[in-house]
Order: sequence, then C-alpha cells, then structure tokens
Amino acid sequence: MDEQLLEPVRENIYQLNLGPQHPSTHGVLRVLLKLDGEYIVEAEPVIGYGHRGHEKMGENHTYLQFMPNTSRMDYLSGLIYNHGYCLAVEKMCGIEVPERARYIRVICAELNRISSHLLWFGTYVMDLGGFTPFLYCFDDREQILDLLDGVSGSRLTYSYCRFGGVNRDVDDAFVAGARRFIARLRSRWVDYHNLVTKNVIFIHRVRDVGIIDRDLALRFGVTGPNLRAAGVAYDLRKIEPYEVYDRFDFEVPIGGKGDAQDRYHVRLAEMEQSCRIIEQAIEALPAGRFRNEYRYQHVTPPKGDYYLGFESARGATGYYLVSDGSRYPYRCHIRVPSFGNLQVLTEVLKGTMVADAISILGSVDLVIPEIDR
Amino acid sequence: MGYWKEIVEGGWSLVEGMRVTAKRLVRPVVTVQYPRQTIDMTLAYRGHIELKKFAESGSHRCVACGTCERTCPSHVIKVQGVKAHARSDKVATHYWIDFTRCSLCGLCVEACPTETLKFSREYQLDGETRWDGVIDLIQRLEENRS
Ligand code: SF4
Ligand code: SF4
Repeated sequence: MDEQLLEPVRENIYQLNLGPQHPSTHGVLRVLLKLDGEYIVEAEPVIGYGHRGHEKMGENHTYLQFMPNTSRMDYLSGLIYNHGYCLAVEKMCGIEVPERARYIRVICAELNRISSHLLWFGTYVMDLGGFTPFLYCFDDREQILDLLDGVSGSRLTYSYCRFGGVNRDVDDAFVAGARRFIARLRSRWVDYHNLVTKNVIFIHRVRDVGIIDRDLALRFGVTGPNLRAAGVAYDLRKIEPYEVYDRFDFEVPIGGKGDAQDRYHVRLAEMEQSCRIIEQAIEALPAGRFRNEYRYQHVTPPKGDYYLGFESARGATGYYLVSDGSRYPYRCHIRVPSFGNLQVLTEVLKGTMVADAISILGSVDLVIPEIDR
Repeated sequence: MGYWKEIVEGGWSLVEGMRVTAKRLVRPVVTVQYPRQTIDMTLAYRGHIELKKFAESGSHRCVACGTCERTCPSHVIKVQGVKAHARSDKVATHYWIDFTRCSLCGLCVEACPTETLKFSREYQLDGETRWDGVIDLIQRLEENRS
C-alpha cells in the first residue's frame, strides 16, 4: 500500500463507527475507525456494551450457583465453558470424576466445538456476501444441537456438566446419532469446498488479508485458531492435556503466514480433528456411572488460588478462582480468548480498507459477550 | 498467462458452486412450517419447573423445606407451607416461580430432597406483562388435575 496515503492529513480524516449494531460485528462490538478515504488509519475497539458482571456474580454465588453463568459468556461454546468450570472446581476440591463422565464430557465438548466452528463458517461467509453456505451450515449445526438437546435438555446454554460428572447419561441413540453426524459432516466437506473454499470471490476476499503473524500474535496474547494459523501449534488440549485428551490421537492443524485464509483452513481442519476425537471417545466409552454417587452441591474448597486453563473454540480460556475457605469464591476471574484476539485488531486493521476490515473482523471469530462478561 | 488463467479458473469455481446449489434444489426440505408443523420435544427438554404428581397421594410431595429456594441462583422460587397441627409434616400451600428470571439450569430439580420437581414441556410461553411469568405451581397442579 502507498505509504503516503497513511500520512495523517487531519482535515481529511473522518471517524466511522463500525457497530455496535453493525451486522458483521456479531454482537455488540463497536470499532471506532479513523478513515482516510477508504483506508483505515486507526482502529479502536470499544467494548463493554454487553457487560453483565459475570465475574462479580461469581463472587456472590456459591460455586454451584455460578455454573449456569459459565455457558452464558461464550454462548457458542457454552458446554466447553461448563466443562472447564467443573474441571476447575473439581481440581480445587479434589473431586474424582467417573471415567464414563469424562468421556461423555469430551464427546459433548467436541460436538460443541464443531457447532461453534460451523456457525463461524456460516456467518463469516455471509459477512463476505455468500448467503447460501450459511443455511447449509445451520442445517449441519442443527444436527449437533439436536444431539446435545437430547442429552442436556437445552440447545445453547447447556448447564450440562456437574461437579463430579454430568447431568444426564447418554444413551445408545446419542452415540448412534453422533456417529451418523460425523459421517454426514464428512460427506459435506466436498460441497463446502466447492461452494466456498475454491470460490474465486472468497479467495480474493481472504488471501493475504489481515495477516497476524507469529510475533504479532504472541505479543498480543492471541490464542486458538488465530494463533495456530500463524504457525504456532499451541493447543491446550495437546500441550497441557486436561480431562482425557491425552488418550486420543489427534493433530493440531497449523497454518503458515496467518492471513484470513489460513484461519479459515485451520478451523475447517479442526472440525475434522474434533470428529476424530469424538470417534475415538465413542469407541472407548466405558460403562459405569455418569456421575458420582455423592452429589456435590455446595462445595467449600480449601483456601488458596487455583487456575485451570482449557481450550475453548476460540482459544485458551481459564478460570482463576480464589477460595477463602467459604462457600463463595473470594475472587472469580475468567481469562477469555476473544479479548486478546480483539486487541490485535488495533494493529492489524491499520492500513487496510473498510471492506477488508469486515473480512478480518469475521475471520478472528470474536464473541463479544465473553469479552464484556 | 496468470490473468487469463485466473479468469477461467475463477469462472469455473463459480460454476462448481452453482452446481452444489442446484443439487440442493431437488433435495428434500429440511425445515418445518412452524406453527402448522411442530417437532417433538426431546425427553430431556427443560421447560420451566413443575411439581410432579405422585400416584400414591395424587398430589405433590413438596414439604416446603426451601432447599430449592436457597439453591436457585436467580431467586426464582418462593415457597410457603403450613403444618396442619403441631405434630404433622409441613405441606406446601404456595409455590411461586417467576419464570422470567429462570435460567433453566435445573439446580433446584437436583437439590430437592423429596424429588418432587421436574421440568415441564412448556415452550410456548408468552405474556403481556412481566407478572405473567409468575406462576403458582400448586395451583397449576390442581388445575391440571381437575
Ligand atoms: S431451573 Fe435454575 S433458575 Fe430456574 S428455578 Fe430452578 S434453580 Fe432457579
Ligand atoms: S426442595 Fe423440594 S420439598 Fe423442598 S421446598 Fe423445594 S420443591 Fe419443596
């Protein structure tokens, strides 16, 4: 790009609010753009529109009562957040989890990850002007929601995991349904690739757009598929295996230069890896209890600080809980991946065009309510 | 070379895409025409909570202990009960829930010592004021019984 165009000539610079109601900000994100013609000179994300005070609520609820909140932060991967929270509290209290429950949790969490990526895929392509793939993705995603609805009773805010297990057992219908879904999803890849991946318009909208390279990503704490697209194989499921992830054989897909196209490919590849994990977990699903006999209701963890990190659909997430030995956490902090992923946009958006900004915003897969919490 | 090649390849990719769409045109429809058609709710479906009716007593088993009230994160529940005389068990006379605040988490259902709570299959809920969300479950149970 021509450097001269970026020279700030104050009179020619005007401000544009992208959001908070813009359809491609998916939630209530506002990006304050300073524009010189079509080019962005400065981009400043403004957050806080969806602030509900979840962390403060955590301090005023018992450990169990906070559990329903967790699936409302990142509503697209609510089950993964439930899962992480239960793992954190189980770690604090030293609660043993039955083997079957661990496998059920992994299967459901991976299904949730696929559904989250499918929704991203659909909405991203829709942001770029293709409406049809969106409907196909929702058709596929619907199958997952039906499956999870069948076991948890809810389609989005699952509240499925409990301390020491899960809420309901899975049955054969679920297992068969999950197998069918994986077969179906795999048969759909061809269509998706023909419709989107190879589409010339799509390629031109994503190739070399919004490059988040390795250094930039690490500097801003970018995680998840965005970091892996830059070529860093950082996946908490692999490097700090929690639950039973170390028993499964799966790969961590990585990209090269970290542009929007790489992020796209990494997410698609991740869905396939999630399918592999689910298959193995179903194969090895042990019999037994799905929940401890003793129902942990109001737990009182011993004094101390605890942190548990896990990989949500958007990146490295974690719960930091401080216990003062009472039934309520003294402090409840949540590390959300979207915050780091959003910050990096101040750098990345500089010097790009407004149309590319839409493509970049979509490609990093932000969920705003989890940033605001 | 690159220019023309890109035009040809790009053009072809659009044709391929259209082919996928065309194939879909003759596939069966996956949506249903709600509200003329509906889909069966799953067994696990979580509607608002409801009192179970037990065959042996023909009524609920709520003893107004208030465990559910204390467990609920959103202060949805208010339960009141009386003792018929000093030695008898307490029986709930009123069980109000404010459905508008319920997060359908199910913690109350699990906490109940007498296991008298369950989820209803209600999903078509509407109201004109926020007070329409306030339901007395005992009244509801009795109305359903008659
Ligand atoms: S389902 Fe949850 S929010 Fe609703 S009444 Fe029961 S405990 Fe309260
Ligand atoms: S916990 Fe059960 S028995 Fe106790 S008040 Fe609630 S519904 Fe009634």
